[in-house]
Amino acid sequence: MSGMDKAHLNNMVGPVMRQGALARAVYEAAELDNPGRKIQMEDKVAYVRIQTENEMILRQDTIEEMLGKPFKLNQLEVDMASFAGRIETLDDHVRFYFAKRF
Amino acid sequence: MATLERMDWYDIARTTNWTPQYVPEDELFPAELSGHMDIPMDKWEIYDEPFKQTFPEYVKVQREKDAGAYSVKAALERSKLYENADPGWLSVLKAHYGAIARGEYAASGAEARMVRFAKAPGQRNMATLGMLDEIRHSQMQLFFPHEYVSKDRQFDWAHKALDTNEWAAIAARSMFDDMMMGRSAVEVGLMLTFAFETGFTNMQFLGLAADAAEAGDWTFSSLISSIQTDESRHAQIGGPLIGVLVANGKKAEAQRMVDSAVWRAWKLFSVLTGPTMDYYTPLEHRKQSFKEFMQEWIVAQFERSLLDLGLDKPWYWDIFMREIEDQHHGMHLGVWYWRQTAWWNPAAGVSTAERQWLEEKYPGWNKTWGACWDVITDNLVEGRKELAYPETLPVVCNMCQLPINTTPGAGWQVRDYPHEHDGRLYHFCSEPCRKIFQDEPQRYAGHQSIVDRFLSGEIQPMNLAGALQYMGLAPGESGDDAHNFKWADTIRDERLKKAS
Repeated sequence: MSGMDKAHLNNMVGPVMRQGALARAVYEAAELDNPGRKIQMEDKVAYVRIQTENEMILRQDTIEEMLGKPFKLNQLEVDMASFAGRIETLDDHVRFYFAKRF
Repeated sequence: MATLERMDWYDIARTTNWTPQYVPEDELFPAELSGHMDIPMDKWEIYDEPFKQTFPEYVKVQREKDAGAYSVKAALERSKLYENADPGWLSVLKAHYGAIARGEYAASGAEARMVRFAKAPGQRNMATLGMLDEIRHSQMQLFFPHEYVSKDRQFDWAHKALDTNEWAAIAARSMFDDMMMGRSAVEVGLMLTFAFETGFTNMQFLGLAADAAEAGDWTFSSLISSIQTDESRHAQIGGPLIGVLVANGKKAEAQRMVDSAVWRAWKLFSVLTGPTMDYYTPLEHRKQSFKEFMQEWIVAQFERSLLDLGLDKPWYWDIFMREIEDQHHGMHLGVWYWRQTAWWNPAAGVSTAERQWLEEKYPGWNKTWGACWDVITDNLVEGRKELAYPETLPVVCNMCQLPINTTPGAGWQVRDYPHEHDGRLYHFCSEPCRKIFQDEPQRYAGHQSIVDRFLSGEIQPMNLAGALQYMGLAPGESGDDAHNFKWADTIRDERLKKAS
């Protein structure tokens, strides 16, 4: 069954972004804001899946710096088409996480 | 002037419950509309929406999204997509718009029910934005295909499909009405926003966007992925509801709602999304197989969140895993065979190269589904085209409203899960479809499948012409092979070459 029946036993969290400048900025910010974590990027042409194990933080300031233009955290939604894990939206950062680990 | 950060005022602004003085609470929030299951008012107030957005932010962000999607459309309007696209790809567009565009207005109605009748203030707030999102989705998905109506009248079905009695429209309406029109605020939160939107819409609006990008249809890719950014937010309405229900001893009820919605969504996607991804999308543009998209979005992402929020895997997990491997192949064979009853032109997708791809993605395909296509192919290659049309009706499931089928093999295996209720014998395609009926028979008992309507004499005359008239399919709309059987000509040439 090609691992299908076990595919849900994972701890990958993070945003799925439509392709474009914001997706690249988010990937770069994910690397800077999550030291010590390996950030994966899967490119599906229309969208990119940016993921890591267990928890990912994305800070408004870091995304803004990577984007090179003013950016408010609520604008993340313009290109964030989905995400893995749970989300917590705060004033200066967003967090993806799981409450349970496999 | 310094302004407060959002989180300094958000909780106060959205905490809008009050003690009613002029009417009793049950009149303000009737049980059948709110679905509160006697959980007291204060228990709903712990609902904390994880994806927060305020109205001023919403308006600004939505304007930015629209500017993006509409400008891509405007820029590519002269790219002659319609003239240059593979006919199989045009069928993907027709099936998508027809089954979905008008359903988005129904979703707006369901969101509006949560806005008025949800007892959790946070749910009402998020649903207000969701209600507006769904209007955007309908309007865009009616506007974007409209440019093709003058070229191809099947595109008129983008707007009218759900107003007809065409069989796929009946199946889509049956599922969407069940999830959106006849459900309480809590049921909509769990069945529509959680089960359907955090799960299945990703398949249709992101998986298919990946295929669209590969196929060079950037207008469609940008449109549907932009729509999904709204879903990404308002689909979060359901998550905290699970927490409230589980904390108040209603886990079994929550689990049943989610199990029912996931199964019904799966069946519809097996006929709509499966064939479009694995057969209609031109081979060179397939980013992943339908099964691989299911694994990525539904199993690895959605089922994982389900467990995290405190629910269990659905009781039919093993059946589900088996169906992901093969159900859509049977749906595709059926849709292609009964193609005159579709509002799009199904692509057979069984050229020599395509069959190799299918065998690679679904080992064993050639020996099973391929054996059926061998018969069809031989008939076409040898000039017996009349045998590539059906003479009988399929048996249709009384829950999913789709043809009952199973993987063919050497033995005679009829798939049927019958159930008698109030003197009427119902037929289902699977244990989950039957169980959904048995859990809430009053909801489904009166519905007549398209085949029930045929057998009762409601469809007259009782032949293909009568059926097409009943379904509203005029000449020029009724489907045929997307490539006008050119794939069979190629196979004939290959065979002649081999023989000489």
